Formats: sequence, structure tokens, C-alpha cells
Amino acid sequence: MVDKEILKKMLFLRELPDPLIEKIGSIATLETFEKNAVVFHQHQDLTHLYMLVSGKVHFTIQSASGKALVLDKIDEGRTFGVSALMEESSSAYTAICFKDTTLVSIPGKQMHQLFVEDFKLGHILMLKVVRLFKARMEMHTRQFLLSLATHSEIKSLQ
Amino acid sequence: MVKIEDLKRINLMKKLPVHLLDIIAKEAQLSIFSTGAQLITVNKKIDNFYMLVMGQVAIKRNITPDIDVILEYIQSGNSFGTSAMIQGTTAFYSAICQEPCEIITVSGDRMIQLFEENHELGYYIMMDVSKRYKRFMDNRAQMIFKTLSEDLDMKEDVYDTWINSTK
Repeated sequence: MVDKEILKKMLFLRELPDPLIEKIGSIATLETFEKNAVVFHQHQDLTHLYMLVSGKVHFTIQSASGKALVLDKIDEGRTFGVSALMEESSSAYTAICFKDTTLVSIPGKQMHQLFVEDFKLGHILMLKVVRLFKARMEMHTRQFLLSLATHSEIKSLQ
Repeated sequence: MVKIEDLKRINLMKKLPVHLLDIIAKEAQLSIFSTGAQLITVNKKIDNFYMLVMGQVAIKRNITPDIDVILEYIQSGNSFGTSAMIQGTTAFYSAICQEPCEIITVSGDRMIQLFEENHELGYYIMMDVSKRYKRFMDNRAQMIFKTLSEDLDMKEDVYDTWINSTK
């Protein structure tokens, strides 16, 4: 169980009424990870979503040859692994702790069950997931377009 | 109004129960657009959510004033303009018909209103939209990796490169 005062600091849960935050707190736990610990690996099935209480987490993607690229850097108050709310969803990246880190961990299946029991909660939080994914997708697309614009073959066209 | 059977041809709607499809069917209409019709303009508000019954739509964004990148082609059964159902957002891309298109449209503002009146509908649609965004996100991550892997000047930190480019 996680205290509602901790959860209220999470952007994902901001503006939710206390009774809904308490419901979520009842199925959440606090987990600590040391620097360089992996929260989950690329292609791993996601079972929990995470909210960053303290520390820092990097998202990286890795090639078969082992080369890694940092896609995003997650600060306190942000949420990740929300794909755990969807059935059969695996992670596109590896989440690594850049510092000693404390996370709120919430089982996706239990959260999903809360949504089905209370569609209002489900609607509010899935809308936040959509906004989160939209922002991240747009950031990744901008990163892709930048990588394309600076690609040697594109530069040669200009 | 459109038939529920028409909505069932749209991937995003396939798993919705009939009582929810019925709500959308009453608000939707079928329209025909000609080749070259611009349905969505980058950075502008999107008025409608579009479900493609027949035809092909290109989703594009420019990387320089002279070069457009087609991010994907929307085929029949797929939908676009989901941002219309999210208050306060604008289009990240342009959408242009590549051939004559038969499209089911629903007003984004009306959909937002329906979600507030029926949270079950809001929940299921937002769940499906988030799955769709997740697929796009994963796809973009792979595109970044492929582009950089093919380039000898591969960056190790896409995030910092991107952040620096926005300063």
C-alpha cells in the first residue's frame, strides 16, 4: 500500500479525487532500485506500471550488436510502463536506473480491474495514457525526423 | 447516421459492444473525398475523427521546406485524426487522400461530449487509441534506430541530440 500523499505528487494522478487515489494506493507498492538496475528489459512483457518518486530512469533501445541509444530520460513525478494496462503488451525499450531510484509499482491487471469496476476512473486515466503516449509518440517522431534530416544521404540532396 | 455493420469494418471499433457502437453510429456520417483532398493540416485543430472505409490516405510531415516524409499510408479499415477526440490538441501531421476515399466521420467535439455522458464508451475508445499510439511509438523507436544504424555517424544519445536541437 502506498500513501495518497506520495501518489498525489505523480503527474499521472494529479487532479484525481482522494477516494480514487486511495483505491489506487491500496494496490500499489514502493520499490527501490540501485543505480544501473534494470526495471524491465526491451521486449519484456510488462506486468506493472511505474511512477518515479525519486531518482532518474533512462529508456534505451539496443541493437543485436549491443549498441544502445537513449530515447528518453524520466524524472520524478513521471509515469512509465503504462503498456502494462494493455493486454499482451511488451516494452519497446529497456528502463535503467541512472541513479538510486524509488518507484511506485502498480500491477497492470489489478489496475485494469479497477477501471472495469469504475468506468469513470478508467476513462479519466486512459485519457491521460493517451495524452502521455501522444506526447511520447510525437517526441519519437520528431527524433526520427531529426535523425533523418541529419542523415548523410538526405544532406546530400540539399 | 451510418450502419453498425459499417462501423464493425473499422479496426478500432471491432471489439466495441453493440450498445456502444449504436451511440457512435447515430453521430457518424459517410462522406466521399476526392484525390488530393487535405483532411488534416499540421498544427491546426482537427475537427473530425476519420474512419477509412475505402481508399488510401497519406500521413505526412515535412523535415525541410522542400522535403516531405510520408510517415504511413492509411488503408481501409484504419482510422486517423484521433487527436480530434482529445481536448486542446492540434494535428502533428497532414492527411491527404491519395485516391477517391469513402470515409466515416464523427465530430471530435461531439465524441468528447459522448465520452463525458458515457464513461464506458470513453474508456473503451481511449484504451483502443492508446494501443494504437503504442504501436506507433514502438514503430517510431525502430525507425529512429534503423535510420541511425544505417548512418556511420550514429548518435548514442538521441534524447540529448533532440533536446539540443530544440534549444
